[in-house]
Amino acid sequence: MSLLPTMAEVLRQITKKPATNLFPAKYLPKSITGFLGKVSEGKAEINPPVITPENYRGKITYDRDACIGCKICMRVCPANAIEFIKETKTVRIYVTQCIFCSQCNDACPVQCLHMSSDFMLADEDRYSENLIVE
Amino acid sequence: MIDVILAVVGGTIAVTIIGIIVGLVLLGIDRKFAAHMQARVGPPLRQPFIDVAKLMCKDSIVPENAVVSVFNAAPLIALASAVTLLLYIPIAGFYPLFGGLGDAILVMYILTVPALAMVAGGFASGSPYATVGAQREMVTMIAYEFPLAVAIVAVAWRFSMAGFSDPFSLATMAGVGSGVVVWDIVGPLGIIGCLILLLVLAWVTPAELSRVPCDTPEAETELCGGLVAEYSGRNLALFYLAGGVKTFAMTALGVAIFLPWNISWFIGITGWTALIADVVFFLLKVIVVMFFSVSLIRVSMARFRINHLVSLYWGYIAIAALVGLMMIILDVFMKGGVVL
Amino acid sequence: MTSENKSKKAPYTIPIGPTHPALKEPILFTFRINGEVVEEVDFAPGKAHRGIEWMGMRRNPVQIVHLTDRICGICGVSHTFAFARAIEQIVGIDVPDRAHYIRTILAEFERIQSHLLWAGVAAHELGFDTLFNLAWRVREESMDLIELLTGNRVNYAIVQVGGVRRDIEEEKFARIKEGLRYYESLIDKLLKLFLHDKTINMRCRDCGLLTYDAALKLCTVGPTTRASGVRADVRLDSPYAAYGELNFDYVMPDLYTGETRGDVYDRIVVRLLEVAQSVDLIRQCMKQMPEGETLWETKMPKLLAACKKAEGEAVGRVEAPRGECLHYVRMNKSDSPYMWKVKASTYSNQLSWLEMLKGEQIADIPIIVASIDPCMSCTDRVAVVRDGKPDIYSKEYLHRLSVEKTRRLMND
Ligand code: SF4
Ligand code: SF4
Repeated sequence: MSLLPTMAEVLRQITKKPATNLFPAKYLPKSITGFLGKVSEGKAEINPPVITPENYRGKITYDRDACIGCKICMRVCPANAIEFIKETKTVRIYVTQCIFCSQCNDACPVQCLHMSSDFMLADEDRYSENLIVE
Repeated sequence: MIDVILAVVGGTIAVTIIGIIVGLVLLGIDRKFAAHMQARVGPPLRQPFIDVAKLMCKDSIVPENAVVSVFNAAPLIALASAVTLLLYIPIAGFYPLFGGLGDAILVMYILTVPALAMVAGGFASGSPYATVGAQREMVTMIAYEFPLAVAIVAVAWRFSMAGFSDPFSLATMAGVGSGVVVWDIVGPLGIIGCLILLLVLAWVTPAELSRVPCDTPEAETELCGGLVAEYSGRNLALFYLAGGVKTFAMTALGVAIFLPWNISWFIGITGWTALIADVVFFLLKVIVVMFFSVSLIRVSMARFRINHLVSLYWGYIAIAALVGLMMIILDVFMKGGVVL
Repeated sequence: MTSENKSKKAPYTIPIGPTHPALKEPILFTFRINGEVVEEVDFAPGKAHRGIEWMGMRRNPVQIVHLTDRICGICGVSHTFAFARAIEQIVGIDVPDRAHYIRTILAEFERIQSHLLWAGVAAHELGFDTLFNLAWRVREESMDLIELLTGNRVNYAIVQVGGVRRDIEEEKFARIKEGLRYYESLIDKLLKLFLHDKTINMRCRDCGLLTYDAALKLCTVGPTTRASGVRADVRLDSPYAAYGELNFDYVMPDLYTGETRGDVYDRIVVRLLEVAQSVDLIRQCMKQMPEGETLWETKMPKLLAACKKAEGEAVGRVEAPRGECLHYVRMNKSDSPYMWKVKASTYSNQLSWLEMLKGEQIADIPIIVASIDPCMSCTDRVAVVRDGKPDIYSKEYLHRLSVEKTRRLMND
């Protein structure tokens, strides 16, 4: 039994690069929204997030024109996040309700629902335009 | 007379400010060291300052069944006594402000005061966690005092054997003025003894500062902070500052006794350049001592149980300290090094 | 009240929980402490009750499989797997062979991921944050692989009634093998850092003992029971999915240390060795995996119709990383199950706390509590609050209630 095997390990580690993923910045900015604003203005640089895999399930996308209004997606949605709009015979998806299972994607007979790789969805308003797909 | 008083007051204020700033920087560096050893990036260096500033803005909550006076006084006493320590420890080769008024023995006594203040505060908070923490802190203190005392007394005794007039003065040990340090006066056996004592001091430091593996009195996962479980806001900030200052004091003590060289002794410079070079060199030594006695130790092991802590300090480390002392005594009898 | 009870003299009572840094999930422990020693323990679960079964009984099986993903934050496969197995038995679904293998691979990746997570948490409970960081860092590899196979890191949404929703394509095998090699090269280091460390030995050896007899008597499951020397593992005792065709054995602590003591240390040994075992199982699965379909029925309306026609009850059991996970389902010719009961592994293991904690020190409470790898959210199925006060139900009363309920189920 060695005494303190970790000591050698940490000494070796100190010269190596840390494993932390520095998204979005090395240190917490004073204000995250301010920082993101600066990034969009091109004044600051953002450390990119880890790349999502190809079949990642992010924010849902919906092709309204292809939808035939069959309501199958509503039957399988575990979160009851899908609402039927009678007038247009299309559906409306509340992203704050959605649990990103993509079950509706599998069930839709005309493949008009898909999951994008968009995951930065935080918002102050549950019903903001960004969080309702129709 | 007025001059003296002004100098003392001014000096004390200056030492307080410097002590707090250096203490917090040291805590920041320690966090950076630990983070990189754990493959993390860690918080920015100024994080301790941010923490203190934030705590200062927050309300200090006093529990219902606390002894209010003691509860509020404890953090102040802890910080004040931690700062007092710095007045007796030679820093960067300067003669300590109160150096003529107290020696190493006094420093050892003052070292216990912040811990005692925390114990008092813990008992006064009236929470079972804090009570258990306070009991543990007392046991911890009893455990590490003995090796610490042996280490300091052994070095002082060696100085007295070498014919120094004021061996217990930390200024003497640090070679302030004389330029003579402990390694200069001991023979080969004494060198081994001093190395052992250096290690002993390095191991006492985490216990003194309540850091892993000796953070049993605070033990986040067991006692949710133990002693300081009920503290918040300004009071907690004061304890935090006291911790920073104490880190500085403990490492400075180690530097003063075992690594007191000044860079200006070696590369004959004088005046302001020498002063700056000495201060920078001193801070480097403090950081190195902190790395080995705090950061490295705290990332490489699990927390001790209180009975482990006692058996470690009363057993192995006390024995190591005594062996170091024996070596130094033998050194004197065999007339190694400088003996009067 | 006498002055004796009022005074703070020993023994005194320390509450730990419902929220406490040592607990990752809410539960209330009450300890009677004498000095540093625990004299008496009591605990009150039920603080994380979310009414999942109630929600499930208002949804159809296809919806429920995504709900079961969320019973536990870590075992995203096990609960769904157990539920799907129950439904498959009721409906009489023949799961394609390839799906069996994919389920097995995912379940084993989940075990790797869960055990490494546990190892990190255990190290953190001991105040050993370096190992916590290390364990969670190497855990990332399994999370990445799970993400590659299922799309997301947690909430995999891959198990479906009748199979799995995604195939593992040939192109992904190289990446999976790379990950397996990573763990194979790592396991020795992990064993060294965790098991040969003096401080961990001091803290975990002979701490939180659970004897063989007690482990049997209390019906503990999973690594907790194996660490006490009981040879029990659902994967071997009643093989499901592809486990019957794989070559493996019970992981017992004496494989590594030569003896079985049933302490916290042994539980670390079992879990770390199981990481190595899971790597081996995944290798075997990849070698033997047959070609073919992965779902019994890809058309969801047809699957739902089949479930709606079904009648009967069944129990689905799988070996989750923490031990046996059991789902009881009863279908009654309607969209949603008539009855759904989840028994997570912690439910079986939690009573062993009383045995383990008695006589130990306060300092050991966190690591002993963590040593069974408790998952309160999986376990908490009831929370009884009446007039603002939790009730205590006696065994007799509970028995009467269950008899009544069984009658009701039979008559309906
Ligand atoms: S992804 Fe799942 S939760 Fe979201 S809308 Fe589709 S079915 Fe509902
Ligand atoms: S399943 Fe597809 S086609 Fe049918 S309503 Fe939903 S989105 Fe439209």
